[in-house]
Amino acid sequence: MQDNHKPPVSSTAELQHEVAELMIECLNLEVAADQISADAPLYGEGLGLDSIDVLEVALMVSKRYGLQLRADSADNQHIFSSLRSLADYIATQRTR
Amino acid sequence: MTTRSTTDHTTWAHTPERSNMLMLRIMTWISLRLGRRIARGVLHLIASYFVLFSPGSRRASRNYLQRALDRPVRWTDMYRHFFTFAATIHDRVYLVNRRFDLFDFEVHGEDTLRRLIADGNGVFLMGAHLGSFEVIRALGRKDTDLRVAMVMHEDNAQKINAMLAAINPEAVQDIIGLGHIDSMLQVRERLDEGCVVGMLADRTPGNDTLYPVNILGARANLPIGPFRMAALLQRPVVFMTGLYLGGNRYAIHFDTLADFSDVPRGQRDAALQTAICRYAALLDQYCRKTPYNWFNFFDFWQTAPTTMPPKSS
Repeated sequence: MQDNHKPPVSSTAELQHEVAELMIECLNLEVAADQISADAPLYGEGLGLDSIDVLEVALMVSKRYGLQLRADSADNQHIFSSLRSLADYIATQRTR
Repeated sequence: MTTRSTTDHTTWAHTPERSNMLMLRIMTWISLRLGRRIARGVLHLIASYFVLFSPGSRRASRNYLQRALDRPVRWTDMYRHFFTFAATIHDRVYLVNRRFDLFDFEVHGEDTLRRLIADGNGVFLMGAHLGSFEVIRALGRKDTDLRVAMVMHEDNAQKINAMLAAINPEAVQDIIGLGHIDSMLQVRERLDEGCVVGMLADRTPGNDTLYPVNILGARANLPIGPFRMAALLQRPVVFMTGLYLGGNRYAIHFDTLADFSDVPRGQRDAALQTAICRYAALLDQYCRKTPYNWFNFFDFWQTAPTTMPPKSS
């Protein structure tokens, strides 16, 4: 896949904070952005998001950063595994 | 953390499906080997078995029928209830084998669905454990373009596909399993292709936030997940049920349930609540119309703790 040939870009703490803020706003989470650990799982245990929450986050980041998330991507499990991996993905793929 | 009030739905998720699958397995074998008339005879044995030896199911049946019939429940009512359940499951075998010639279908509101499908943006089709959802296959006989992808819990998906493959290998259904991180991205993709995405919205496979509604004069709790999904993906929702009327007759009903296409984010929760109440009203309406078609053989009106949707502001 084309995605795998791109050099991975690490996200900055700033971007992670921004994504955390977006998630909180989008899902009405009752936490502060700096309380979301960058490496804690987003889905299931951890932040406790369900697959509809994940969809909501996916729609939101697609719009905000101009990227495409596809259902057939084997990377989804990894992308949504934590705030850090989601932010890393955004940093690599963002078009705006 | 989000404050989600959840309930343990272990019994919901397992008991009815297990008996459902066991019955389907037995009936498939009989129907394919012995023919419809003998198979129909066996349905009476199954109904008798449930009336006599399944006190849990009997209690649930009586409890429900008291609400739906609004009169004292007789043994014959419970017998008819179990027989209807067995008959609809049995007919799946023939529907999956495209033997639509065996049945007499009256269809109400099909234009509603067809119009929304023609728009090409995808439609949600919400059913319940009320009558037969499988009769949707009968509509596909007219045009092969009617593609329905069912959303369901992964465990049930595997069992059902194994069963369908056993009945008719060509009938394997397009199923989107819940519980994956990208389950919802798959749902969105199917909708974008113009597919109909179907689900049974009266039970939750796991921990889902419940919303209190009124069905048959008492409070029951419905999972809000299916409605959140439709609201988020901004699609129209059509209610569907295939009510068994006895003999070989079914009445298929399509009713407009909601349209989230143009609902702005700020109004989403209100629209979601309106939709779930409309769904409850439709369940109420059809339970009264054809009382023996309700196939939730557990205490649906249980006194579970409930909350309002956590996202309402």
